[in-house]
Amino acid sequence: MTRVVIDPITRIEGHLRIETEVDGGVVRDAWSSSTMFRGIETILKGRDPRDAWAFTQRICGVCTTVHAITSIRAVENAIGARPPANARLLRNLIMASQMVQDHVVHFYHLHALDWVDIVSALSADPAATARLAQSISDWPLSSATYFAGVRERVQQFVDRGQLGPFANAYWGHSAYRLPPEANLLAVAHYLEALDWQRDFIRIHAVLGGKNPHLQSFLVGGMATPLDADKQGSLNMTSISMMRKLIREGRAFVEKVYIPDLLAVASFYKDWAGYGAGVGNYLAYGEYPEGDDSNAPLFLPRGVIRSRDLSNVEPMDPAKITEFVTHSWYEYEAGDSEGLHPAAGETRPNYTGPEPPYELLNTDEKYSWLKSPRYDGLSMEVGPLSRMLVAYGSGHSRVQELVNYALGQLGVGPEALFSTLGRVAARGIETLVLAEKMEDWLDELADNMGRGQLDIHDNSMWDPANWPAECSGAGFHEAPRGALGHWVHIVDGEIANYQCVVPSTWNAGPRDAAGQRGPYEEALVGTPVADAEQPIEILRTVHSFDPCMACGVHVVDRAGRELVKVRVQ
Amino acid sequence: MTASGNEASVLVLGLGNVLCGDDGLGVAAVERFRLRYRISEAVRALDGGTLGLALLSHIRSTDDVILVDAVGAAGPPGTFVRLEGDEVAPELQARLSCHQIGVADLLNALAVLDAYPRRLILLGLVPETLELGLALSPPIENRLAELVERIADEVRRLGHDLIPNRPEQSANARSGDRAARALGLSR
Repeated sequence: MTRVVIDPITRIEGHLRIETEVDGGVVRDAWSSSTMFRGIETILKGRDPRDAWAFTQRICGVCTTVHAITSIRAVENAIGARPPANARLLRNLIMASQMVQDHVVHFYHLHALDWVDIVSALSADPAATARLAQSISDWPLSSATYFAGVRERVQQFVDRGQLGPFANAYWGHSAYRLPPEANLLAVAHYLEALDWQRDFIRIHAVLGGKNPHLQSFLVGGMATPLDADKQGSLNMTSISMMRKLIREGRAFVEKVYIPDLLAVASFYKDWAGYGAGVGNYLAYGEYPEGDDSNAPLFLPRGVIRSRDLSNVEPMDPAKITEFVTHSWYEYEAGDSEGLHPAAGETRPNYTGPEPPYELLNTDEKYSWLKSPRYDGLSMEVGPLSRMLVAYGSGHSRVQELVNYALGQLGVGPEALFSTLGRVAARGIETLVLAEKMEDWLDELADNMGRGQLDIHDNSMWDPANWPAECSGAGFHEAPRGALGHWVHIVDGEIANYQCVVPSTWNAGPRDAAGQRGPYEEALVGTPVADAEQPIEILRTVHSFDPCMACGVHVVDRAGRELVKVRVQ
Repeated sequence: MTASGNEASVLVLGLGNVLCGDDGLGVAAVERFRLRYRISEAVRALDGGTLGLALLSHIRSTDDVILVDAVGAAGPPGTFVRLEGDEVAPELQARLSCHQIGVADLLNALAVLDAYPRRLILLGLVPETLELGLALSPPIENRLAELVERIADEVRRLGHDLIPNRPEQSANARSGDRAARALGLSR
């Protein structure tokens, strides 16, 4: 029996460390740990709730807008501010462009190298690559000359010894299965996607100015003045710029991302049999289509238990609890209790080994993440959960695209509950949103054309209008999944603040009942051909889009380190 | 040839997580640099935070780049560090901080796109603590003014004029809630 440990190096959102028991070439058990304390809650106490978004925006460099939006919603919910329709539309555009950009970057820049072999790409025939490209898409960059150029560029890069983004992978691993032409095609699109993501996210610059961090958020609405004809406001020129960016972005998703996804997936259909996980799916839902608190959501809210797509339950926030039985915290009422986030406590109690250490004591507390549960159950969150909830709720476009993808790959609906299903769901969601964005832009332009320019509900801005004590919750679907902030306000100041982030739902440890978290459960049964190069473990962990980079340590049972490779 | 086709441009980019103590020293230095000097169109000074690939457009449209950051090097907290060119990327890859992956990814992307800045300079200080918190430690706070002047020297060396703001302007701007202002809250 070998213990394979995937240990973190970065702190983007806290270190992620995975320990697994591998026996007979298969993962038998797994433990997921975050090894860094995140205590944004302690920084926010006593602050003006209207400023909280600017602090929460800095929790994570990858997910800035998502924590801003969620914080603003929580505070609005607490004080009773009601953002007008234009603010909703602007937010939908910001959230959807973040989601689309993030998913493309995940596929090409964070996950592709788990499936695509750069070394093999260097031996591809450019003419054959061109034929492959033209057979799956009419994307114009598809000539033999183009692919020869890409191959030469990567070859030069490799010859200079600067592997850069390609340095940390298992080139030549037997688990890579794409033919050289497919590898070269993917590498070409890896490069194209770098520039694509830069262009697409200019939507944020149009909406939020030149600062790399969006500054246009405001409790009660948005701070982006609208005026069809005025310079310095969001005007009709801005609308046409955004329309162009949305259309170009959508073309890339339709003609590059989706064809690539299906082409790559067709070589890895066995991954529809691994990585299923807990089989329970939670989505808060996103993209309100109206301004009441119970307005319909473009991607619906709901809960699915035990993979039963025929029964999407309503989501009741009161059923969310967090456990710390295996987390380095203590609760006043005892560590076997679950607490609702509104009554959440953040009291660190580190009982783990002094770093540097070889292994965690996984029988006791072993993570800085808490264990969120819904009605006592471990829940997966993220694109797969959203697409399954939408599918089960009768979202026609999602159903159409899911059925199309299953048909193209020749697999049944059970394939959805897997590592491959997670990767495919992310692509489908990207397309659904890229298609939808222009509708929201049209609605915004219509409002502006009619002189309806409201962007802010000012009535509750003054803390004098707030109750002496109030609390609220904000929910959002971030690219990585369901995100919730809970705020408690006393005399105009933050008295308590709790965030339950997607990576906590997915990467959290076991709970009081010993139920594994989604990462842990998904890894059980994963094949590992070579314990020194556990690329299969990375495939499943990366399919969740963890908001952190990892390092890989492989140690044998005695704790001797065999190999230590950093991967992204 | 310059990125804009006109006057060569320089980007001063503060990096780091302002929620993680001295990790935010680069952002703080760039913020003070902006208060201290009036800068020409060709000079931009931005808070890059812990963003990675999202900064690609800002860097690609610039000829020269000065990164300002907490740097884990030999020496006591507050020790000044200057790296240039090929020395920069390995430093950002190797060290432990709140944001290394983002910037490392960014430099990798620039390399693979054959779009590396003409000049790439990293200025920074050795941090004392990266623990959660908004305040800078005393050794960093004490050296920040000097770091700001070193940024100014680099910008001048790259051929740009800098005009100091009058002291009272910078002093006024410095009052109030530094943390909130660093996050762009104007109130």
